[in-house]
Amino acid sequence: QVSELVQFLLVKDQKKIPIKRADMLKNIIREYRDAYSEIVKRADRTLQAVFGLQLVEIDTKRHIYILINNLPRPEGQHLCRDKEKEKMGLLLVILSFIFMKGNSVKDSALWEFLHLLRVYPGKQHSVFGDVRKLVTEEFVRQKYLETTAIPLTDPPEFKYQWGPRAEKETSKKDVLNFVAKMQSKDPTFWASQYSEAEANK
Amino acid sequence: ENREAMLNSKSNRLTEALEEANRLFDGVCRAREAALDAQFLVIASNIGKEKANELHSEMSAFDSTAFAEDLLTFMGINRTEVEETDDSEDVPGAFLPSDAWRTMGEEASKYFRRAPTFHYMMGSFKSEPPAPKQRIERQKKAGRGKAEQAMPAQLKKMEESHQEATEKEVERILRILQTHFENDPNTPISFFDFVMDPNSFARTVENVFHVSFLIRDGLAKIKLDEDELPIIEPIKPSEGGEEDSRAGVRNQVVISLDQREWK
Repeated sequence: QVSELVQFLLVKDQKKIPIKRADMLKNIIREYRDAYSEIVKRADRTLQAVFGLQLVEIDTKRHIYILINNLPRPEGQHLCRDKEKEKMGLLLVILSFIFMKGNSVKDSALWEFLHLLRVYPGKQHSVFGDVRKLVTEEFVRQKYLETTAIPLTDPPEFKYQWGPRAEKETSKKDVLNFVAKMQSKDPTFWASQYSEAEANK
Repeated sequence: ENREAMLNSKSNRLTEALEEANRLFDGVCRAREAALDAQFLVIASNIGKEKANELHSEMSAFDSTAFAEDLLTFMGINRTEVEETDDSEDVPGAFLPSDAWRTMGEEASKYFRRAPTFHYMMGSFKSEPPAPKQRIERQKKAGRGKAEQAMPAQLKKMEESHQEATEKEVERILRILQTHFENDPNTPISFFDFVMDPNSFARTVENVFHVSFLIRDGLAKIKLDEDELPIIEPIKPSEGGEEDSRAGVRNQVVISLDQREWK
């Protein structure tokens, strides 16, 4: 059961869409329901020992999980494919913007910012294609971003925040360090963001 | 309306609006007006909340424009060259290289603890991510499901090969017939001689079966000779076409042959 679950999780993780406990039960665990937590625990141990990955529950109410990397980030070139890397680049930029602007931004503000980077919602991007779809659908589905409607707005507006996967895969401190590096400043330059990042550890 | 104006932290528009609403409320004596006032209050409080949010981030003066500029610099933008692009909305006069986002991505991967996506080394059947998942799911349909799935697949295969074999056989027999006739064009072949296999009844039946295809398709014909015994001969292509279209006669002959007779 355990190895089947491990395989199941690895494959499900390919699209980076979070895994529901219900799916795990239905497809793999089935009749061993009672041993569920034990099986999951062992699967997590295997993932950590063999692959250096960790199974993390990002929604304790609805029992949704993701896989994250447990290993320290190595320096130097990674072997991953370009498309993934480029998306992560865009994502990091978006997450930084959201954090530095107080953890929540309006969609209009976000697109205004991306405009400066030659990324437009209405226009096909040479690298990202349909950017609007990437940001509002893919990143949201993968739980990197969270979007909520702003009440009483007409036409309806949305705001963006960090999603639970972002919270687990990176940290405010890391992101602040990124911003500081880009702007060649010390992270303490932004006092309130810095204290928030420190507190968040 | 005027939402943006109210949000501006430097403006007191929101306060002014609230004060005016207060004043107006004194004159209210109808429920509808009171409802409008309540609605206004909700909107005002939302705006107030937004303003408060904006206030917080302004405290640490994050300049997003400067940040964007720094990002572009990092991605390798070339501000000296003027490039002819079709980006009409673009800020003209700066060239962003094609690997700009790859550069950004390289840097970004250092900040994420992202699990590398899992792929089978040897590839899956059609090298598409859904395929491995299906494989797993099929395994879990313990035994029974799998057996059922295997059977239709097998049967189908047999059927296919059977059909092919038949066609091949028919062709083979036609060729034999034709060769025979080439060698000896004026002697028709006794039908029975043609189909009989002295060693196997089953084979004989098969031969009859295959010959029937030839007849059906108009590639051979069976006639009765002087002795009322059937003979078979191939139809020359030219002949066949004309005859068929004109006469369109099809005769059915039932020949019975059982094992005893055959012997």
